[in-house]
Amino acid sequence: MLVSCKWLKEYIDFNLTPEELAEQFALTGTAVEKVEFSGKDIEKIIVGEINDIQPHPNADNLVVCEVNTGEEVLEIVCGAKNMKTGDKVPVAIVGAVLPGGIKIKKSKIRGVESFGMMCSSNELRLGTDATGLLILDKDLKLGEDIKNILGLDNAVIELEITPNRPDCMSMIGAAREAGAFTGLPIKIPSNQINEINEPIENKAKVDILDSDLCGRYAARVVTNVKIGPSPLWMQNHLKSAGIRAINNVVDITNYVLMETGQPLHAFDYEKLFPSIPPSIPPLPRGDTEGLKGGKGGLIVRRAFKDEKMVTLDGVERILDEDILVIADEEKAVALGGVMGGATSEVSDKTTTVLIESANFNPANIMKTSRKLGLISESSIRFERGIDPNGVIYALDRAAYLMQELASGKVLKGKIDVYPVKKNPIILNLRLSRINNILGTDLNEKSVKEILEGLGLTILDTQVEDNDVTIKVSVPTFRPDLEREIDLIEEVARIYGYNNIESSLPEGREKQGGLSKEQELDKKIRNILVSSGLNEVITYSFIDRNHFDKLGLAEDDSLRNTIKIKNPMSDEQAVMRTTLIPSLIEIARYNTARDLYNVQIFEVGRVFLPRKNEILPNEPAMIGGLITGCWFDANWYEKSREIDFFDLKGIVEFLFLNLGINKWELKRITHPIFHPGRSAEILINDKKAGIIGELHPEAQAVYEFPKKVYVFEISEADLILAANLNWQLTEISRHPGVSRDIAFVIDEEVSASDIEKEILNKGGNLLKKVRLFDIYRGGQIAEGKKSMAYSLFFQANDRTLVDSEVSEIEDKIVSRLKEKYEIEMRIS
Amino acid sequence: MPKDQKFALLRTHTSPVQIRVMESAKPPLYIIAPGRAYRRDVSDPTHSPIFHQVEGFVVDKHVTFGDLKGTLEVFAREIFGKDKKIRLRPHFFPFTEPSAEVDVSCVICDGKGCRVCKGSGWLEILGAGMIDPNVLKIVGYDPEEVSGFAFGMGVERVTMLKYGINDLRLFFENDLRFIEQVL
Repeated sequence: MLVSCKWLKEYIDFNLTPEELAEQFALTGTAVEKVEFSGKDIEKIIVGEINDIQPHPNADNLVVCEVNTGEEVLEIVCGAKNMKTGDKVPVAIVGAVLPGGIKIKKSKIRGVESFGMMCSSNELRLGTDATGLLILDKDLKLGEDIKNILGLDNAVIELEITPNRPDCMSMIGAAREAGAFTGLPIKIPSNQINEINEPIENKAKVDILDSDLCGRYAARVVTNVKIGPSPLWMQNHLKSAGIRAINNVVDITNYVLMETGQPLHAFDYEKLFPSIPPSIPPLPRGDTEGLKGGKGGLIVRRAFKDEKMVTLDGVERILDEDILVIADEEKAVALGGVMGGATSEVSDKTTTVLIESANFNPANIMKTSRKLGLISESSIRFERGIDPNGVIYALDRAAYLMQELASGKVLKGKIDVYPVKKNPIILNLRLSRINNILGTDLNEKSVKEILEGLGLTILDTQVEDNDVTIKVSVPTFRPDLEREIDLIEEVARIYGYNNIESSLPEGREKQGGLSKEQELDKKIRNILVSSGLNEVITYSFIDRNHFDKLGLAEDDSLRNTIKIKNPMSDEQAVMRTTLIPSLIEIARYNTARDLYNVQIFEVGRVFLPRKNEILPNEPAMIGGLITGCWFDANWYEKSREIDFFDLKGIVEFLFLNLGINKWELKRITHPIFHPGRSAEILINDKKAGIIGELHPEAQAVYEFPKKVYVFEISEADLILAANLNWQLTEISRHPGVSRDIAFVIDEEVSASDIEKEILNKGGNLLKKVRLFDIYRGGQIAEGKKSMAYSLFFQANDRTLVDSEVSEIEDKIVSRLKEKYEIEMRIS
Repeated sequence: MPKDQKFALLRTHTSPVQIRVMESAKPPLYIIAPGRAYRRDVSDPTHSPIFHQVEGFVVDKHVTFGDLKGTLEVFAREIFGKDKKIRLRPHFFPFTEPSAEVDVSCVICDGKGCRVCKGSGWLEILGAGMIDPNVLKIVGYDPEEVSGFAFGMGVERVTMLKYGINDLRLFFENDLRFIEQVL
């Protein structure tokens, strides 16, 4: 909604700058999109009269004009063709400034001196017409500043009207708001009509057949109108509201629409039936009995299926039974509340006008407007809902302006079909309730001032039990005020949100905090960050193509996804069942940008469909991916490519920091992983996740330059197993003994199994086991490996003797021999 | 969920959390609930099909609009700095009344007016209001006994304003050159 400050002043005499006014609107709930100063840069552009036009001596396309500005007579070179001697035009004299800041200087054009410039409407940014000079009204005074004349000394505020405030879609509505926040009275303009003797009943009649779609229909008839341009002030006002001037009658309907918010339509009365041949008979006919010339009988009805009508924009519309039309005896002549029809359009020859002022069903107008792809100043207002009790003021206002500005004669009386009357509603407002909700200490007087400033009527005030109850009548132009709380909001916004004192809730001494799960979630993220990973956040939906790229079997459970019904692209088509594809995408995004060292993790939910349930399970998973090197080689240190043990180390570090002892990696084969380098992560013997090197084929499909290592663990399982209640174990003050053992063993036996056996036999005195060498080849047979362990023994209460340690060592060795048939190398 | 329902909807905002909590608990309630939200927007510098919101609300005896203001002021000062001011502008939201949009004084120009705040000196950071009595009634509370306020904000939006990030897509592209700047 564009609000011209100059126009607004006609309704309320405010004393604020445009910026101040805009801020007041914003702070009382009408958002401001922007404030535009139309003639901000313009300086020294004045009215001049062309005294003489002579050809340019050196250029066929130019002329030299003698222009009188009242003060002086200037010689100006000009390229336009549309002017003649005696025309008045805008003249930018030497020193003038055009919109955009262009300064006019004395210049020499093809050898002739030019003392200024005559302007087109395009150059003044009034329109796009650059074909010729803007020819001004002959009666203007020479030398007058163009800004006053063309309404350029103005600021236009663009307001954003929320859907609950249809009443603000008008100048009077904006003035009413300004009245409420400034405390100033508003002036409602005149609609004093001098009716002629002929009664309207001779000329027109209206029947509403579908009153569910049209709640009120009023009309007046104005004869003897003289079509011509509307006065400059009206054109300027319309222009400031973004509406093009057409002729006085059409401009008046648009002007009153912008002024009151009530859409109007003007029919050329003479063009109503029977002047146009019928279209698709048989149609229900308007009742023309008693009407002169058998015309002017309008009906408001639903259109017929495939009924055709050409709207004012020249487009033929194909209608149906859900669309409301205004029809004469034979055909639809307007789309009710959306747009008039071409057959009865007001033209230069129009002499009699039927003015419509009506009220239509908001939902139906919205439907029609969407269906036909037709949005108009009318439809956007009817969609929001308009006060049916504003119909008559707007009708009379338009008739009055046609009487004053188009020399029209207004017939006696008006048509007003209003089947179900809408009455103001009555609300009770308790002063105690206002102050309890807002935390204020407002008194009766200031509350009443606010309510009356908004146009509400105070009916009664009751005092009981130290509380004041104000009985208020709410005008029908405020359909948003239905309850006491609505009135409290009105009081709050006009009193000013920023005048309400800040406080904190009384119950705040109860300290909030994180749940155990939230604490652990935070800890998990911190542990992973301290392992050198970066946290990422990715979309919850993925491309199902990833399942193929990862080589998942057709019946793999990860392929069972929740599908998005209306995905915006294939990349966002299914809800993810695993975090791994998202992590791979992020890694690819980075490696494609020459960032090869990617170490990332995400904690996020996956979506696992459940049988016979609409909503899926949404467990949180922890996913990690590493590839490349931890750092690039430099003068001090060589680099090393990340391997499986780096990722295993991160997982170990995670478990260690969460106090989870009972976990292990169990070798498995998994379609997405390298056959020899993948494992299940077991916590308390239960599967909690997977870890491995991305399958070489997948690595190739995704074009990763380096090997990629991935893990995914269920966060709930980690949280369940976590134990942060640790206790200190005593530190020995006695020296310990170190022993090394080395043996040859089958390749298949894993280091973790061996370690398990050693620890088991080592008992309390064995404090540390360290695998310090693995050797293959040479003297070692095929399929075997040599492993060397360092064992450290220590007691808390004494210094160990050699024989004690040897005894334990023997036990360990014989256990390993028994279980794995090892061959000792050193001992 | 109704038996004949065939589809679920990805939530477009986190406000349903209010109802879930109020239906399963009694006041006093002091709740903060971050979460993902989904919109059918093509990703561009200011839109994303997935983003995050933080929903906060309070229901208790004697909760006032002044309490809402005070709470938001504490939040704004903690996030944007001790010297920051906030202002509330009336607005329309379906679940709150009175409703407000909340601005913080511009983090770039400190209220003088610059390109980031479009010359206004203010940045809009969140929407808030007093919980509509009808909402309280529907979950079985007595709006004459208890009252409440609620607010919701976009995590990415607040982050963008605080750290001078001009493109929402950066949060989801996860370019290491972006992520590694985060302290």
